[in-house]
Amino acid sequence: MPSEMDQFVAEVTTFLDTHATRRARAAEDVAWGEGEDRITYFSTDPPDVENAKVAAAKAWQRTRYDNGFGWLTGPTAFGGRGLTTLHDLVYDGLEAAYEVPETGVLSLIGLGMIGPTILAHGTDELRQRYLPRLYSGEIIACQLFSEPAAGSDLAGLETKAVREGDGWVLNGQKVWTSVAHHAAIGLALCRTDPDKPKHRGITAFIVDMTAPGVDIRPLRQMSGGSEFNEVFLTDVHVSDDHRLGPVDGGWGVALTTLMNERASVGGEGAGPVGRAVALPFLTELLRANGRLDDGAARRRLAELHADTLATEYLNHQMIRKFRAGEQPGPEASVSKLMYAQNLTRGTHFAAEIIGPRLIADTGEWGTYSWTELLLSTPALRILGGTEEIMKNILAERVLGLPKEPGIDTRSPFRELRRSVGSTGSGRSGE
Amino acid sequence: MSTEDTTSTELDELRSAVRDFMAAKADERAVRAAIDSERGYDDKVWAQMAEQLGLQSLALPTEHGGDGYGLVELTVVLEEMGRALLPSPFLSSVVLAGTALVAAGGDEAGRILPGIAAGTTTATLAPPSVDGGWSLGGRGAGDALAVTASAGTGEVTLEGTAPLVLDGAGADVLLVVAGGPAGPGLYAVDAGAAGLTRTSLPVLDLTRRIAKVSFAAAPARLVGAAGGAAAILDRVLDVATTALAAEQVGGARACLEASTTYAKDRVQFGRQIGSFQAVKHKAADMLTRVQVADAAAREAARAVDGVADAPDPGVAAAVAHAVCSEAFLAVATENIQVHGGIGFTWEHAAHLYYRRAKASQLLFGGPAVYYERLLAKAGV
Repeated sequence: MPSEMDQFVAEVTTFLDTHATRRARAAEDVAWGEGEDRITYFSTDPPDVENAKVAAAKAWQRTRYDNGFGWLTGPTAFGGRGLTTLHDLVYDGLEAAYEVPETGVLSLIGLGMIGPTILAHGTDELRQRYLPRLYSGEIIACQLFSEPAAGSDLAGLETKAVREGDGWVLNGQKVWTSVAHHAAIGLALCRTDPDKPKHRGITAFIVDMTAPGVDIRPLRQMSGGSEFNEVFLTDVHVSDDHRLGPVDGGWGVALTTLMNERASVGGEGAGPVGRAVALPFLTELLRANGRLDDGAARRRLAELHADTLATEYLNHQMIRKFRAGEQPGPEASVSKLMYAQNLTRGTHFAAEIIGPRLIADTGEWGTYSWTELLLSTPALRILGGTEEIMKNILAERVLGLPKEPGIDTRSPFRELRRSVGSTGSGRSGE
Repeated sequence: MSTEDTTSTELDELRSAVRDFMAAKADERAVRAAIDSERGYDDKVWAQMAEQLGLQSLALPTEHGGDGYGLVELTVVLEEMGRALLPSPFLSSVVLAGTALVAAGGDEAGRILPGIAAGTTTATLAPPSVDGGWSLGGRGAGDALAVTASAGTGEVTLEGTAPLVLDGAGADVLLVVAGGPAGPGLYAVDAGAAGLTRTSLPVLDLTRRIAKVSFAAAPARLVGAAGGAAAILDRVLDVATTALAAEQVGGARACLEASTTYAKDRVQFGRQIGSFQAVKHKAADMLTRVQVADAAAREAARAVDGVADAPDPGVAAAVAHAVCSEAFLAVATENIQVHGGIGFTWEHAAHLYYRRAKASQLLFGGPAVYYERLLAKAGV
């Protein structure tokens, strides 16, 4: 008798065979000099191309959802299948062999982070209202967390929410908001009580991104594209039934989102970018440039390959722990640090092999195209928690080292110093 | 052999038994006493390892007196030995010689293996090349074989000098890869053989003895097939570097723990030094190294055991050897730095780990060799 998992595999395969085309060659095979000459991490598409890709992503997510594959791990009451993380991994593994639209615009933030947060902290009414629409690809969600003066120190955020009637009025500015320009809803953290210590006066809300007073302005990244935005909130009304979690209990809500964020950034090594800096592609790069016998180049290739594979092994072990029902340890943070490092090293290694043909577009395949990745890698050490913050977390939470004694978590938020020129009476600046 | 049947609970129990044993028998005082002893290790502890815990027999085949487990189990043991810096002939006798004999097969191997499994015989395997390296007739002059065997099928004689033999002075049986009429083969020489000269050498890693071993018409017996050394050595290197990687992870973890404890205990400028980000981030870097090394070592053990969903054993072993060598050295070096002046004293254990880390990195040839081995195994 076939096992439950065998049946699931058969079910997925039938679905994919019906709705998608199998790839002509395995995703990891290298066809040097063939195909699209682009290695991208962030999108640099013009708006019409980008919009078409978003539409295709939504349509594919809809197809998955209609066939029972839109939200494998979600509860059935809210449109999920009630299956396990392992089913998710198995599905992803099978789908990788097919040509399907890239759905990162939905999944990275909305399905990967906001959905789980709504599920964990929302009322049944909020869950019923938004989860099926998110996981069916109908709407996209964004994360209204960071602010100009609250980056690594997220709990220092200043966007205000003030009670008015049976709702709230929001005022403030958010920044680095990925996919806000495609989003129907945003998860906003707001200051609701400045007289409490900073972590204890924050409340989370679901904001309608089309509401009056929501102004979305694209931010252009150093790599050229505009995947993220500034979002200005001016007298934006939110009804109280769109509050997520208790009043002043928003920090706990934020932690759920952030934990899901770290898990999603570290686990993306297998995508097209990962393949560009993996051994088969880099070996072809060396061969094409006549450097396969160059001892110095071979040494750097091997060092990179060793660290890349070891990081992959770490990810495999994380998956096996999930499978065994264990809670993974610090692997996700370590994996994120290593991924950023390996990708950065790989890109600069490729740049060295290519040499001056990287600095001007000669039209030659596989040369100038690396500039996009080169200009994207600095972001990997910042997004989802800077390298420095990740190291603090590892040292304090895993190794138990003491916190910075200068950090004030007790004084009322109102009294804290928030900029070089501010008059806060706290002792936070050393 | 597949070892997926051992549950993680059973592995945890094995680890805790070995850790308790090491805490009782191989604390720092015991390690230093063993270093200063004539033999270089405590033979009573060695006997107890066999009698009480059965460590020597754990991963040897049942038909040769072993318990038939694999690297997945053995690496748990090695990690704890590495953590304690246990001086013992385990790596030379059980891992190097044991693996070579199992790979070679035949009557001669069957004669030696039960003693190794019981801990009553110690054996070692000499590196084959004149410069103490492990490559078989490769590129440079240093790759020439150190020892040659006379023609003949039964009892032959060996001629030459193996310059760097792990535990070579104390081993009861010396296994030697020697050039023979049918190509390089594996030969066994008993400790009492005529024409055998063994000289213990001063060592960087005080916890592991190394000897120069010379053969002047020394009587030897062929082990396994004539000219069969190449395949044996390839297997030995996969297994031994995987075993070493586990030891390195254990050593690196001990260094990380020592640094973490010290960073919590030591107060300067009125605060624990671990609250300074300069120290905290160093500790986080050490943790990252250890976690990645741990993952590499575990995956290599699964691969070498032939577990179904594991990667290619040659690749995984080479990755583990490279990553764990680099990690242990980096973490052992930073451990001294975190401790400051006290970490540079003879009395502090930090230098023992640093010595072990550097010597382990170079034991099978060092970075130039292991990175090329990785590329070769990956088909580049």
